[in-house]
Amino acid sequence: MTALVVASLSAREISRRWVALALVVALPLWFYLVRRDLAGQSTRMLALGIGWSVSTLTLFVVNASRSVDPRLRLTGASTAGIIGGRLLALSGVGLSVAFAYWLLVGVDQDLRNWWLAGLMMAVTALVAAPLGSLIGALLPRELEGALALLSICAVQMLADPSDTVAKLMPFWSTREIGTYAVDGGSLDMVWRGLGHAGLVWLICTGGTLAIFSKRLRLQNYPEPT
Amino acid sequence: MSDWPEMFEAELLRLGLQPGRASQLAEETTQQAAEYAAPPADVFGPAHLYARHLLAELKAVPLKRLEPGPVLLQLRGVAKRYRRRTVFAGVDLRVRGGEVAAIVGANGCGKSTLLKICAGLTRPTAGEIRRTRRVGFVPQDGGTAGWLTAEEHFTLFGAAAGMVPGRARSTGIHLASRLAWRPGRRQPVQQLSGGTRQKLNLVLGELHAPDLLLLDEPYQGFDQGTYLDFWQQVFAWRDAGRAVVVVTHLLHDLQNVDHVLDLGAYLTGGER
Repeated sequence: MTALVVASLSAREISRRWVALALVVALPLWFYLVRRDLAGQSTRMLALGIGWSVSTLTLFVVNASRSVDPRLRLTGASTAGIIGGRLLALSGVGLSVAFAYWLLVGVDQDLRNWWLAGLMMAVTALVAAPLGSLIGALLPRELEGALALLSICAVQMLADPSDTVAKLMPFWSTREIGTYAVDGGSLDMVWRGLGHAGLVWLICTGGTLAIFSKRLRLQNYPEPT
Repeated sequence: MSDWPEMFEAELLRLGLQPGRASQLAEETTQQAAEYAAPPADVFGPAHLYARHLLAELKAVPLKRLEPGPVLLQLRGVAKRYRRRTVFAGVDLRVRGGEVAAIVGANGCGKSTLLKICAGLTRPTAGEIRRTRRVGFVPQDGGTAGWLTAEEHFTLFGAAAGMVPGRARSTGIHLASRLAWRPGRRQPVQQLSGGTRQKLNLVLGELHAPDLLLLDEPYQGFDQGTYLDFWQQVFAWRDAGRAVVVVTHLLHDLQNVDHVLDLGAYLTGGER
């Protein structure tokens, strides 16, 4: 129950930051519009833009909750409930943004596989939320966290997808599924992309939980006799 | 609402009242409702709110103070060091139910750190701590989410304590009224004044009816009236059998407390 309440209130909190929310929604659009003439390029850049904006939003939400979380733990909430609820909310926001852009691409571009373009965007949004959460856990200050996410996304955009460096980046799955959706090829690319996304999701979610379990651990004192 | 008396008695027990007294109050309340020929819920409202209200009223009656209850917090030889700097060492404190303790000392002597250690949020470097499980903590600042309203905070902290949203909200509003504050339904916390935000912090610390309350200078930003309300509230908690530990630097507070822990005295020579 705690996770659902945290999720619902986190979503409400985000919806009130409408300027930030508008920027989160608009950021991928700039990526898309710059290369709108090239269907593949613009769609893949759009997806990476979704990844960047959703992960940055998550980072800020995680940092904003830093002073509340210990009190919630002390009141009785579990770490998994707090972190899980927040990830649920941010994943929902990410999926909503992805869904809107999927519809836009469907109307505006002639893609080889529109359904898989939707899968690419959804997977990106689902990876972005725990990634932002992990960066927020590792780098407690917002500036450092935002710069780290900028570096990750920039490297992912610029690196050759076949390079090892690109495969080590969290959004390699976006490039892999996106290439199949736009250019076609072997279906193995989609499975490899999904496998990579699943692994990144597990690492980021598990890492976030591990760090916050340590940070929010309460000393277990015995009762007075 | 035929189970109203049971719910009322259970809430009184949960708030720390002795079983015999709780049973007696439940019986008297049911009889009063019978005199009006109406169900207790129609006469007194929700059982959990009336229980809190009645306890608050009882504290206004100048009764003889009860004997202190069981020990709820015990510190023996507690120390905290950051790298080579010793913040404090050898701290002893014992607080029973029905007692108020104040932690005093100069800026930077570790008052807030000690309170966090008592809460279990910070690990002591040395020493033994025993503490009751149900604890409420009110930090000096922060501890709230700026974009949520007060009622949403009640829902959030209530959920953490296992309370259903409606009950958490009504309890929070009731506790706020005792600090002469009526939370706005739409106003986010970041738009509240510093003093009102501290009232919210106090309510959140008490929402789950803890046995031990740890308060870190909770009255910052309070006006004179609210400051007096706050101390009345502290005495109400004390008289309900709870233990209260307050970090303070206001010396005139100390005449009202049972224990004073001067943390400045635990600083080692030359490190002050």
